[in-house]
Formats: sequence, C-alpha cells, structure tokens
Amino acid sequence: MYRYDEFDHEIVQSRVKQFKAQVERRLDGRLTEAQFRPLRLMNGLYLQLHAYMLRVAVPYGTLSAKQLRQLAMIADKYDRGYGHVTTRQNVQFNWPELTDVPDILQDLADVEMHGFQTSGNCIRNVTSDPYAGATAEEIEDPRPTAELLRQWSTLHPEFAFLPRKFKLAVTASNTDRAVIKAHDIGIEVVKNEAGETGYHIIVGGGLGRTPIIGQTLRAFLPREELLPYLEATLRVYNRYGRRDNKYKARIKILVTETGIEEFTKQVEDEYATLVPLDIAVSPEEVARITSYFADPDFEDLPDHDDAYQAKLITDKDFANWANNNLAEHKAAGYAIVNISLKPIELAPGDITSDQMRAVADLSDTYSFSEIRTTHQQNMVLPHVKKSDLYALYQKLKAVKLHADNIGLISDIICCPGMDFCALATARSIPLSQAIAQRFADPERQRAIGEMQIKISGCINACGHHHVGHIGILGLEKAGVEFYQVKLGGDASENAAVGQVTGPGFSQGELIDGIERLVDYYLGVREDNERFIDSFKRLGMAPFKEALYAA
Amino acid sequence: MSTLKHKGKGPQSLTANELREGMNVWLTPEFEWSRDYGDALQTEDVAVMEKMLAKGEADENENLVVGVYFIDVEADTGLPVRYREKFRVKGPSYDTADELGLQKAK
Repeated sequence: MYRYDEFDHEIVQSRVKQFKAQVERRLDGRLTEAQFRPLRLMNGLYLQLHAYMLRVAVPYGTLSAKQLRQLAMIADKYDRGYGHVTTRQNVQFNWPELTDVPDILQDLADVEMHGFQTSGNCIRNVTSDPYAGATAEEIEDPRPTAELLRQWSTLHPEFAFLPRKFKLAVTASNTDRAVIKAHDIGIEVVKNEAGETGYHIIVGGGLGRTPIIGQTLRAFLPREELLPYLEATLRVYNRYGRRDNKYKARIKILVTETGIEEFTKQVEDEYATLVPLDIAVSPEEVARITSYFADPDFEDLPDHDDAYQAKLITDKDFANWANNNLAEHKAAGYAIVNISLKPIELAPGDITSDQMRAVADLSDTYSFSEIRTTHQQNMVLPHVKKSDLYALYQKLKAVKLHADNIGLISDIICCPGMDFCALATARSIPLSQAIAQRFADPERQRAIGEMQIKISGCINACGHHHVGHIGILGLEKAGVEFYQVKLGGDASENAAVGQVTGPGFSQGELIDGIERLVDYYLGVREDNERFIDSFKRLGMAPFKEALYAA
Repeated sequence: MSTLKHKGKGPQSLTANELREGMNVWLTPEFEWSRDYGDALQTEDVAVMEKMLAKGEADENENLVVGVYFIDVEADTGLPVRYREKFRVKGPSYDTADELGLQKAK
C-alpha cells in the first residue's frame, strides 16, 4: 500500500489545523454559513436531510487494517456505530456533529486519511478495480497510476474550481469493475501492438440526469504522457465547460455538444502548447510510487488445496459462498474474497463498527492487512490462501458477513435516498430491502444468476440506475413515491445505458413487476444465459410486457 | 416549499438545522428551537410570521441555527405539505443503528 511521504503528511495535518480554526470561526460568527459552506465541503462535510454527513476518501478503494479500525473507532466515538460504503468506494458517516469534525479529521489524519476531494467542483477521489494487484486478468496493478493521479489532482490549483465535479477511474483488465465508461475520464491500462504499456483514455462518460457512455479520446497514450495529456484535457474543459447552468456543466455535455472529433482536436491543440516534461513525473518517481504496491510475500503454493476442496463437498453453505463470493487470484493457492455488505435485512453498503474491526482482524490474519471497498458497495480481502478460506468463512459467519449473494439479485447498489439525502426525491433503501426479501431464497437467487439491480433515489443517479440490468429511479408526485424502471443497462466493459420502460410503479407494484420480469426471463433464457444477455437477444418488448402484465 | 423571503400558502412553520449538532429543529410558540416537530409553532398570522422571521435571522446571526426557512403546513393534519419536509419531521424510515440497536439517535 502507498504510505504518505512528508508532503502528504504536511498537507493533511495542515488541513486539519485549518479546518479546526475554520470551525471555531464559524461557531463564534467570524465566518458566515455562506463563507463556511465551501470550506466544510472541501473536507467532505455535508449538511444532509437530518444532520451533517462526513464522507471520508478511500483512494482507489484501498484500506489498511489500521485504517479500517480507525473508521470503526470514529463510528463508535462520534457517530452511531456504523459506516456506509459508497459507489465511489468512499465511507460515509451519517450523524457527526460539527463540533466533533475537527477531531474526526485529526483521527483520520493519524492513519493517513481525510475527506479531500469527496465534494465540490474538483477532481474527486480516484476509483479503481477492487481486484487490483490480485487478479491475473490485469496488465499491471492500476493503483500506482491511480495514486499518481491522486497526488497530481490533490489541491491542484488550476483544477480546484472546475465547472463541475470531475471523476476519474482507472482499470487494467479487460473486465471492467470500475465502470470507467461512466466517468468524466476513464483510464484503461493497455498494451499497444509493440507490446508497450500505455493508456486508453475515455472521456465524457457520466450518469446523473444525462447518462452518457464515454468515448475514446486516445486509443493509446504513452505512459509518460498521462499527466500532461490529462492536464490538457482538463484545461479544455475548464475553458469551455459551461458555468452558467450546473445541469449542463459536466464534461460529458461539452464533449457531446462539441463532438468527439472537435473536442479531441481541442485537446491535442492544447497538448501541443504544453511542455510535457514540466508536468510529467520522472520514471524514478513512477518507480518509487509503484514500489509501494509491490506484491506481498505470497507463499509458493500449489493451486489445489485438498482441505479446501474437501470442505466444498462437506459444507454446502460454504460451497455456495465460495462459488459466489470468490474470484480467481493471480497467485497459485490464493483467492480473492468478496465480502458482501448486502445481507437481506440491512441497507446496502452499511457495515457496523464491530464488523469493521472483525474485517480488519481478518485482513491481518489472512490477507496481508489489506482491504478494498468496491463501487458495488461491498468489501474485498484481496489475497487469501485457499487453505484459509474455510476458517475465514466461519469467522465472517460469526459477524454476519457471510452473505453469499455477490453478483446476484440481492446484491443491489442503492443510494441512501430520502432516508438520508437532502437531494433525494424518494426512498431507495426500503425498496432494496423489499426486493431482497422477495428474492431471499438463496436457491432462487442462484437459479436467476447474475443480475444487477441498481436504485437511485433521485435523478442524480448516485445509485447508478442507468447502468443496472434493472435500473430503478425513485420519484415523488403529490406526496407519493413512485419508481421508474430502466432495463438493459450495463456497468461492465460493454457499458450501456438502460431504456426506460414506461410509467412508474408504486413500491408494491414494482416488486410484483420485477418478479414477473424475472420469471419471464427464467422461462426464455437459453442455457445459462444471463438476464442481460437474454434482454439483448430478445429486446425490450417482451420484458416490458412481463413487467406491466398485472 | 416556502422560504425565508417568500412565504407560501396556508399555515407556516419555521425550520432550520442546529449549527453545532446539525439536527433538524422547528421554532416553538415560545420562540425556542425544538427537535420535535410536535412542538412547532404553526400560524397563518402574518404579524407572527414576521416575528418568527426576525427570530430566525437573529439566531442565524447568533450562530445557533443554519438554513432557516418557512415550510407550508397542511391545515387539516398539521403535517408539512412537502414530502421532503415530512421526512425531515419523521426522521429516516430506516437506519442501521436503529435496526441493530446500536447507538441511540442524538
């Protein structure tokens, strides 16, 4: 994992001192709310529907055991004993008090954490593949690139007041686990025909009220040109992005209105004016950053573990968990473990302080003290020996973190919705719980197979509903919640925006409609065809008919 | 929603958030702030509203509350008109802390 250098420490500690003084000035009236608001937002502190909310940055979703324990301590000491994993791999606390936040930020700084870049019109916290450094699929670990971007974008003076927020994601596998095409800039580590490693730059993607899939800006960008090229891209956005209308201010609107060819020309023209070496970092610095992400000391193991295989036969529940929640690791004898934060009865992404401590302990024992958060609002232990999987499973079970539903219909992405969010128009958590309850039978879930339901409580789409196989948007009219449905969205490397089916539903009607939809799918699918593939094969009409068939 | 500057139709209440703790509050008939909407002053009297407005602005200036605004209230039920405001009154319909008996709400 990356460890802060002296500059990182100084920046974060300085910010804590600054914010402490700013809170004091706010409380005694030397700062008005209008003056204070942008300062608190720069540290991730929002005023939500019922109370303050603090969003803590988890750069590229990588946490140490020590950091997770500190988050647990903060949850207990300052909040209500739990935290919430967001779709940008961050962690939120729903009930902090303003007077405590300087102490919380100090506690975060003590473990190299903060709330920078979790709000405001800046380059936001960089996200990445939660399997980074563990999957055999990747060309290289994408996190050194993500860390380079974190350092470049943190407090970048030219990009602190962009027309609107700006989101970056980095992957290095053909399988996209970071939804890079729905980002302002998505960065894919690729190799060219000569075998050189560089970047595929995708621009202008985004969700929100205007969902757009990103387009290629550069098919192959040499590695050393990354920062200068992004600098040129951000400059063009800063210059031409709209500031008169916040709903048209994201780069996706600029790219769409300008056209990708003209936008690319503008970026290339700007790039030609730069002196790349003034911006690019040296190979030595890249090597220094990369060294922090070196593989842990994997043991030299056979890929087959007899004891593990035996348990798969004797313990059916364990076998089901292993089947759904494990992924292939690059090192023989190891596995990537997904920890579902989607138990049927609780809110997606929530984790109690006791569970945080348990996961931290388990990571110490079984996964080199590393934890990942995922945009799917789950957690990952990236490096677990197969021989340890059964013991790990038992310990996860003891703290109720053994849900075996990764990728299934109850593994729902869900924003906080009207229960917490000041922007929401309808609740999303109760709907996700109702869907999970309806499909609670594990056998039924497994029979349905891969299914991504994503729920947003308003058109800002924090719940990624545009790219759900079944996407649900919560709205309200005359005091009544209703839910609009999209079908056929895809958050993978085949990214697609779903199509609206038609009139909205009440929650009760929607649950019945989804059940009819799922039953229809099970009746028409060929072999082990996934829902999304059946939808692509058959089109909207029959699925819509099933959904509205009541 | 009515606002501090533009009052809506029918009965009105004045709401805000506590600056320090952030919790939702409503102005009471005693011109104090309560976290319980049941205590809220509801009035259609313009003269009273002017006094409520003055109190809200004064308490913002005193750094006690933040984001003061009037809300429309249903004459028959006494509840806020807007769905969002109903939620501010009731609190979350789900909170993991409540569900699991973790720490109590403040």
